[in-house]
Amino acid sequence: MTVRNSPQQPHRRAIESAVDELRRQAGPIFTALEQSGLPLAITDPRLPDNPVVFVNDAFSEITGYPAEEAIGRNGRFMQAPESDPATTARIRAAIEAGREISAEVLNVRKDGTPYWNRMFIAPIRDASGNIIFFLSTHFDVTQVHEAERIHRDLQTGQKKLDETNERLRFTLAVAGAGGSWEWDIVNQCLNADARFSALYGLDPIEAARGVPADVFFSAIHPEDRPRIRIAVAGILGGAEIFSKEYRLVAPDGSLRWVHARGRCHFDENDQPLRFTGVLVDITEQKHVEERLRIAQTAGGIGTFEYVQGFGTVSVSDEFCRLLGLHLTNALPVRTINALVMPGDPPVIEQSPGLEGTSYAEFRIARSDNGEHRWLARRGEYVQDVETAGIRFIGVVYDITTAKQSEERLRELNEKLESRVEERTRERDRLWSLSSDLFSVCDGHGHHTAINPAWTELLGYREDEVVGTRFDAWVHPEDEASTHEHLKAVLRGDAVGDFDMRLRAKDGAYRWINWTFAPAGDMFYSVGRDVTQRKQLEDQLRQSQKMEAIGQLTGGIAHDFNNLLTGIVGSLDLMQTRISQGRTENVERYAKAAMTSANRAAALTHRLLAFARRQPLDPRSVDANRLVTSMEDLLRRTISESIQLELVPSDNLWLTLCDPNQLESAILNLAINARDAMPDGGKLTIETSNFHLDAASASTQQDVAPGHYVAISVSDTGTGMPADIVAQAFDPFFTTKPLGEGTGLGLSMVYGFAKQSEGHVRIYSEVGKGTTVNVYLPRYHGELDDQDVPSGLRQAHRAEAGETVLVVEDEPVVRGLILEVLGDLGYRALEADDGPSGLSVLESKQRIDLLVTDVGLPGLNGRQLADHARLLRPNLRVLFITGYAEKAAISSGFLEAGMEMITKPFAVDDLASRIRHIIERS
Amino acid sequence: MSVDIALSELERDALTELVNIGVSRAASSLRKMIGEEVILSVPAIEILSPKDASRLIEEREAGQLVAVRQQFEGAFAGRALLIFPEETSLDLVRAVVGNQLSPDEVAEMEQEALAETGNVILNGCLATMANMLKRSLDISLPEVIRGDGPLLFELLHQRAEGGLVLFLYINFSVRNRDIRGYIAMLMDLPSLAALQQLIADFIERVVGKEVESVSSKGTDSQNASWQA
Ligand SMILES: Cc1cc2nc3c(=O)[nH]c(=O)nc-3n(C[C@H](O)[C@H](O)[C@H](O)COP(=O)(O)O)c2cc1C
Repeated sequence: MTVRNSPQQPHRRAIESAVDELRRQAGPIFTALEQSGLPLAITDPRLPDNPVVFVNDAFSEITGYPAEEAIGRNGRFMQAPESDPATTARIRAAIEAGREISAEVLNVRKDGTPYWNRMFIAPIRDASGNIIFFLSTHFDVTQVHEAERIHRDLQTGQKKLDETNERLRFTLAVAGAGGSWEWDIVNQCLNADARFSALYGLDPIEAARGVPADVFFSAIHPEDRPRIRIAVAGILGGAEIFSKEYRLVAPDGSLRWVHARGRCHFDENDQPLRFTGVLVDITEQKHVEERLRIAQTAGGIGTFEYVQGFGTVSVSDEFCRLLGLHLTNALPVRTINALVMPGDPPVIEQSPGLEGTSYAEFRIARSDNGEHRWLARRGEYVQDVETAGIRFIGVVYDITTAKQSEERLRELNEKLESRVEERTRERDRLWSLSSDLFSVCDGHGHHTAINPAWTELLGYREDEVVGTRFDAWVHPEDEASTHEHLKAVLRGDAVGDFDMRLRAKDGAYRWINWTFAPAGDMFYSVGRDVTQRKQLEDQLRQSQKMEAIGQLTGGIAHDFNNLLTGIVGSLDLMQTRISQGRTENVERYAKAAMTSANRAAALTHRLLAFARRQPLDPRSVDANRLVTSMEDLLRRTISESIQLELVPSDNLWLTLCDPNQLESAILNLAINARDAMPDGGKLTIETSNFHLDAASASTQQDVAPGHYVAISVSDTGTGMPADIVAQAFDPFFTTKPLGEGTGLGLSMVYGFAKQSEGHVRIYSEVGKGTTVNVYLPRYHGELDDQDVPSGLRQAHRAEAGETVLVVEDEPVVRGLILEVLGDLGYRALEADDGPSGLSVLESKQRIDLLVTDVGLPGLNGRQLADHARLLRPNLRVLFITGYAEKAAISSGFLEAGMEMITKPFAVDDLASRIRHIIERS
Repeated sequence: MSVDIALSELERDALTELVNIGVSRAASSLRKMIGEEVILSVPAIEILSPKDASRLIEEREAGQLVAVRQQFEGAFAGRALLIFPEETSLDLVRAVVGNQLSPDEVAEMEQEALAETGNVILNGCLATMANMLKRSLDISLPEVIRGDGPLLFELLHQRAEGGLVLFLYINFSVRNRDIRGYIAMLMDLPSLAALQQLIADFIERVVGKEVESVSSKGTDSQNASWQA
């Protein structure tokens, strides 16, 4: 107990500041407390051991301790040693729990006299509910038995304390905010505090004591007074809530804006008892508010205030305007939130437990016109003093413009994206649906991607194509040109419109027209199937040819008639002479007939060659020798008024070509030259070596660089203008009158040169003459045995036992061949069709050579030869072909040990070919 | 268009106060019924044509409405409507009858409970107003009607053509229940004129001579404006 009794002296300063705080918080009430006749003590539980910080004079009176001796000590210092521990424990428990408590404790005055101290201790809390002080009242209840009066005192004291406490609490609740009033409705009396008095210009003492209720209206601005009177009448008549703003006129005439908020208290019968409230000076606030209102209206800022749990929101006019609602100051939460587009955050959030600040953006459909706007809402959750609930206060403003530009930007992006997507889709569609071949190729010409058309058109699966080079499956004849174009595109040049053939999976070739588009180190290719077009073109060309041939029948008939006349006439004469027994001139007639027959053969050759139905039979050729051998023929062909000069070059290279075709070509050119010189002139045929270097070759289409043998045929005739030269190689182009020429000449020469991998050039000048150069590739091998045909020679004769099988369905031709073979000393076997020929081949007979017609019924010559080769792998074969066999003939037709002779042929030619073949083996 | 511009500021205040008292009374009755705190805010009033009233309520309440209607006769006459959004009405019923009931039971009692609640509120409101104005009113039994704004304000009141709606936007909130409603009084022009006169008397009584200096300028135009 000694310890408990020993006074504690907390810091003076702390105590002083506690007292200051008390004065500040309690304001005029504190003064009232000081002066009250009721013994009072106040302790500060925030200081160590809850020391007394204030006692009034009444307290000092009953305890005997002056204030300075009581302050700083815990109240227990006055306890008598025999005071009841249970009671002090009860007090302690109540204090710790922050409860009110009444207790009677035996105390000792300063002068040592003991007395019963009846205490009432109550906590005092600040606005947020924290206990800041304990307030106690004290009574000397020693003479408890004469308690009638004391008891009454006690009761009034209790009541007074209660009231004082309530007033204090209420004041503290609005700490620093303004004055408070209490209107006793029953007694029509108004009690007001010092601050209220100051605002109203009342005497604070009088106001505290009570003034007539009507004083409430005294200082109100006359313009506001009726309004407030009505409102107060409402309260006096039973209304519950009072909340008004009005102006007060100070005695010096200055105006203050105040906000009076009050509430009516009722008795059990709902009769109004008291009207209490707080007056807050809002002059500053008004100014600020006005400025804010102007700013908000100008800035389009709407404000709102919402107490959690309420159904409505207080809003500003601007708020209503922003949402397109009727101007009002309260709106249902739902009305506001219903304007927000689904999925967007609400304007007012209603879920509990929200705190801090909050920002949201949302779209609304304006209530008045349905227009969509973007609004932003910024709000803050604050504790509401009045209801202890949460108040959500904030602003809304329009952000449509910002959002629109944002939106526009996004839309633009999206549109761009979707446009790109669409394009891509379109392209994908094109890619996958097109019947054209599409492919992407890398820098080496390998396919990296192909479209489905490849499968549809060519039958290759994607995985079969991807990875292959572009020129896989290209037709051998188109390889060279394909390589050229590939090179071009890989160099970065665009390539358009070139045709080539691709082998489909089924082996058939399709004509494809290609376009290449380079793109960096890769390229795109688009190929269109033009097979049908090509076929149609072929058909067209063929039909054009046929038409032309029909047209030219006259010309050919003319030639033929002349020739036939020569032949028939000569044979007639021969027959006559033989029948007359005059054989001395027979040979002359035979020669004449032969010449005519040769020319007729040449004519058909020309026709066939033109039609490309005559296969070439290339051999090494000495052009000098060939030209020289033609001298006789040429001289006979041209008229006497034309001078012929042959200029063979020394050391002329060999060339590789079909000598018969070369002969025809030279003859054709000579005939053209003759026809160009109706009044005579000079025909020159020259030979020379020619080197075409790469640079020159690149300027000339279709010509590969390299060594060539040139044969030029020049005349001094009329010459041709450039446009005619340009067309000179077109088939059937002719300047000759109908019936006088075939027009086949130059195009045949051109076709021959091209087929021989050479080319032709024409130089012509009107009035001066024309030179046609035929370039044929140089041949580096040996010269073939080149006996110029001149009747059957001994050299052709067979060696003993050499056997030839002749398969030919045409008896006359077969007979002729057999006769020739017999003359030459060969043993000859014969068959008139494929199967019977085959049975001979299957026999054990010696057979050195098979001579077979290609166009045989049943088993054709080619098939027969193939079968024969199975039985006799080294069998040599000589094919005889004619017009009809064209289809079966192509390059590659002839294997090693096979040769070909074309109908019609000279007997001597046949003999030398047979000899040649047999010997070579 | 709102036509309440015709009321002087003071008259508006007075009318608001009167309604305030009435609603306060009604709310305290309601508080007793529900046993939960009913928080009141000072109502706003508007005087509108029936058409504008229906538009106004449609603007604020999207769904169906439930209304308790009572007729009143006396110094001024008309119909009073206590209007709730349909979803609110069930909440209110639940607040009145308690939480223990199942939704089915609540639905069953809805009609009755609404009528009773409506009666408490409208009756309290009207009677208090009449009392303040030192007059008495006969008030009929409540009936519950359902429909949208046009039905409540226009179709059902064709007789009141040329009449106006005194639209009280009462903001009474039952804590923890999102309950809100409106009170509308449909009156014809003679009734409104009578009401206005009573309000003037009330002002006279309360404000006394003071009023003459401040509110006379609004008074001249009042009668004309009521007829707009
Ligand atoms: C404001 C106030 C005044 C008090 N005045 C007295 C007093 O006059 N006499 C007394 O015996 N105890 C008084 N007390 C009680 C003691 O200070 C103390 O709280 C009580 O004895 C129980 O605590 P303890 O058990 O630690 O002593 C007062 C307490 C408060 C809060």
